[in-house]
Amino acid sequence: MEKTIFEGEGIFKLIPQRPPMVMIDKVLTQFEIVVSTCLTIEKDNIFVDNGELRENGIVEHIAQSAAAMTGYSTFLHGKEPVLGFIGEVKKCCFFKLPEVGDTLETKLEVIGEAAGVTLLNANTQIVGTEQKVAECQMKIFLKQ
Amino acid sequence: MTKQELIEKVNSVLAEEFEKEVEELTPDANIKQTLELDSLSLVDMVALIDEEFGVKIASSELVKIQTFQALYDYLEEHMAA
Repeated sequence: MEKTIFEGEGIFKLIPQRPPMVMIDKVLTQFEIVVSTCLTIEKDNIFVDNGELRENGIVEHIAQSAAAMTGYSTFLHGKEPVLGFIGEVKKCCFFKLPEVGDTLETKLEVIGEAAGVTLLNANTQIVGTEQKVAECQMKIFLKQ
Repeated sequence: MTKQELIEKVNSVLAEEFEKEVEELTPDANIKQTLELDSLSLVDMVALIDEEFGVKIASSELVKIQTFQALYDYLEEHMAA
């Protein structure tokens, strides 16, 4: 059950985004696979409005989580992270807009890969509660 | 599951998912053209096959599966394994 944790500037090894666009602050891997990511919502987060993280910020958090997942494989090969693009978002539901101070945890499950496109399920909830924030299927492809 | 039952299930599942008539899915037909798959929707077929038949098709194998007959054969071989 070995887990590796990337946090702080260690995240930059997995994704190409830089502040203020970084929307994950912790990445947990297990058996060389990214299993979940976290984000503590700060008041100066650019996607926060009226104390809540808006839907576009949640989608960006999930997209960067997916990019970290695919970026981890390039990291293992000693390469720089590459830019990931959202190909499609579907079956997307938002249950609650999280607030400043909340910590999100997103769990990822790859359900298909083909032609450089990764299809995954993402489930986001607030750490320490059973409160679901969002779920969706997302297609990500990496810049070659 | 017999080969014929496998073929019927594959055709039924794919026709429903990609909104085609089952009759369009003939053994020699090209999968991508028949189902109108592009680079983004191809992964939907891979995920569906995994969900329905428990077979993961690697990208390196996918390029070899051009027709429905090739898909039936691939599934028959890997479901039995």
